[in-house]
Amino acid sequence: MNDHLNTDFETAPNNVPMVPAGRRPGIVKKLFSGLSAAKPDKSVFRIRLAAWIFLAVYGVIAARLIDFGLRLDPPQSVKHAAADAVAAARPDLLDRNGEILATDVKVMSVFAEPRRIIDKDEAVELLTAVLPGVDARDLRERLGSRKGFVWVKRAITPKQQLEVYRLGLPGVGFLAENKRVYPNGPIAAHVLGFASLDGIGISGLEKYIDGQGLAELHGAGFNLTPQNLKPITTSLDLKATYAVRDELAKGIAKFRAKAGAAAVLDVNTGEIVAMASLPDYDPNTPADALDPDHINRLSVGVYEMGSTFKAISVAMALDLGKVTLRSRIDARDSLRYGRFTIHDYHATHRMLSVPEVFTYSSNIGAARMALMAGVEAHKAFLRKMGQLSRLRTELPESAEPLVPRNWGELNTMTIAFGQGLNVAPLQAMMAVGALANGGFLVTPTFLKRSEEDGKSNAPRVIKPETSESMRYLMRLNAEIGTARIADIQGYFVGGKTGTADKIIHGHYAKDRVFTTFMAIMPSDKPKYLYLTLLDEPQGLPEDGGYHTAAHNAGLVTGKIIERTGPLLGLPPRPDTPVQPFPLLAKLGYGEANQPAKGGGGH
Amino acid sequence: MVRMLNIFAIVALITSAIYAYTIKYETIFHAETIVKLQHQIKGEQDKIGMLRAEWAHLTRPERVQALADRFLDLQTIALSQIVSTESLPGKAPRVDAIGRKLEALGFAEPANTLSNSSVVDPAASATPAR
Repeated sequence: MNDHLNTDFETAPNNVPMVPAGRRPGIVKKLFSGLSAAKPDKSVFRIRLAAWIFLAVYGVIAARLIDFGLRLDPPQSVKHAAADAVAAARPDLLDRNGEILATDVKVMSVFAEPRRIIDKDEAVELLTAVLPGVDARDLRERLGSRKGFVWVKRAITPKQQLEVYRLGLPGVGFLAENKRVYPNGPIAAHVLGFASLDGIGISGLEKYIDGQGLAELHGAGFNLTPQNLKPITTSLDLKATYAVRDELAKGIAKFRAKAGAAAVLDVNTGEIVAMASLPDYDPNTPADALDPDHINRLSVGVYEMGSTFKAISVAMALDLGKVTLRSRIDARDSLRYGRFTIHDYHATHRMLSVPEVFTYSSNIGAARMALMAGVEAHKAFLRKMGQLSRLRTELPESAEPLVPRNWGELNTMTIAFGQGLNVAPLQAMMAVGALANGGFLVTPTFLKRSEEDGKSNAPRVIKPETSESMRYLMRLNAEIGTARIADIQGYFVGGKTGTADKIIHGHYAKDRVFTTFMAIMPSDKPKYLYLTLLDEPQGLPEDGGYHTAAHNAGLVTGKIIERTGPLLGLPPRPDTPVQPFPLLAKLGYGEANQPAKGGGGH
Repeated sequence: MVRMLNIFAIVALITSAIYAYTIKYETIFHAETIVKLQHQIKGEQDKIGMLRAEWAHLTRPERVQALADRFLDLQTIALSQIVSTESLPGKAPRVDAIGRKLEALGFAEPANTLSNSSVVDPAASATPAR
């Protein structure tokens, strides 16, 4: 077999005709010789030429690439441009019972691509005819720009969309966007804040949630939809918030006050359950929010809290052991300090017991108690109670308290009864909440939280006995003192009034007052702290023209308690609790557990 | 034999090709259905969001109170109207009101029954009351 194959192989070439083969080697040889040999100067030139041509071509390509890279061209595709322009999705804001406070709805927006519009003037004319809110000149200007993408109008109605669609303009289209809506209007507006048209939080909780990483997620290009964002549950109760705002509005109208605010704080968790500050605004029309008259008076405004501050002074004196509930304070005469004299509004001209100092709201008594503690101890105590530094909550808007620069004895005396130190009302609420809840300074929050979370990092600022004494004093004040007007049957309310003369041109004006009222309920086991403040309420003839806090802020607080108590899950109790202050009874103040009577007209 | 195998192979090839194409087109069809349904779901979700917002807007306390003040003859609840369950009166003993009424009318005993009816049942005693 092998032999046979070999022979075949050898014979085959012989059979092939050899005629062309005889000439081919000659041509090839000639060609190759032309390439390889001779004329070196000419070949170098050719190689160089080729190299230059290639270099030029690559240079053009590179230059073009750099050109593309450097030119700040708006993105060509609409989809890409729209992703940057469309309002981002935001999580829903719910009240503590799951009612919606803020949510996103899908709306259509009209956009245009100026480069693709053929007749811009005609487009402007047609678009402004169907979209009444669009300014023709402004639109013409925007369409004339070299941008690839401009909004014509955000958030149009389905009817308008159909009309624009029927125009059949090239280069005009629609995009679905998220629009932030606040179905409850101005209720809780100050807490919610608002978001811009582009879905960026501008104030309130809206800004806070942006700061919690939402803005970063959007920036990183995550496609967030309302469905995959977890709703945020606030501490507010929608119905209670409405009731508070409603009663406050009625109170402001009745007493012809300039402004007012009210809040309900859960003293154990630190949650703000309801709050209102009037005048307010509708977050659906955010331009109104910029009016300086529409600020949140509870956290942005700082005020002299007046006599409500006496609660803090008395608590300090009790907690430091300077006085006991049985101590007597000299209020026989006005207190002189240099050229200043401190008077009492309800002057008694006798020795007062500590409870009497509280129920008569004695300036002299409070000043003397603060002096017993001394300037440094007073300062330290107020600092511990968070009254000298800015209170930070979730709301980005907050104000620094106005603390006197040179704090002397006179300052301590006046601050003891609430003059000379301006704090945010929310801050004062935090302190009074600590006096009521057993002594824990719980930072207020606008987000839902449990009692454990609230108290976990809350420092103890006063002893439990002091807290119970304060509850007793506040209850006593509601039984026989200045807070009787808010003693709503069944809620065992305790309270403290505060009337501060307003400073007009550097002097305290007698006729313009700032009244506050704080109430705790129920006093034996406090759950809620109520605060109402009214700016320049007028006295009513049926009250004898008095404009002190008991007549206005106290009345409003009483109405609010009456209305919100059942809403907030506290049914009225048919009878007063037996032994409401067990610690005091143990310390030998058995009379604290007996309901007080009388008290005259103070 | 070989020819048979060839024919069989061709038939198998064609069927498998047809099967593969069917699967492919079905997949495309299903994928399109999924996309369509996803769009529909998204649309529905948007609508739900819209309706939730609308519901919240329509049931906002401000509006409800205004409507209640206008159309309902109701008063604001007073705290005295809230009582605990313990203070409610206990359940009254069960009273057979109809039976008592019958008794009062003198129908307690089957009166004037037919002599042949040996069985006295409540139905029979109730008939005269009609």
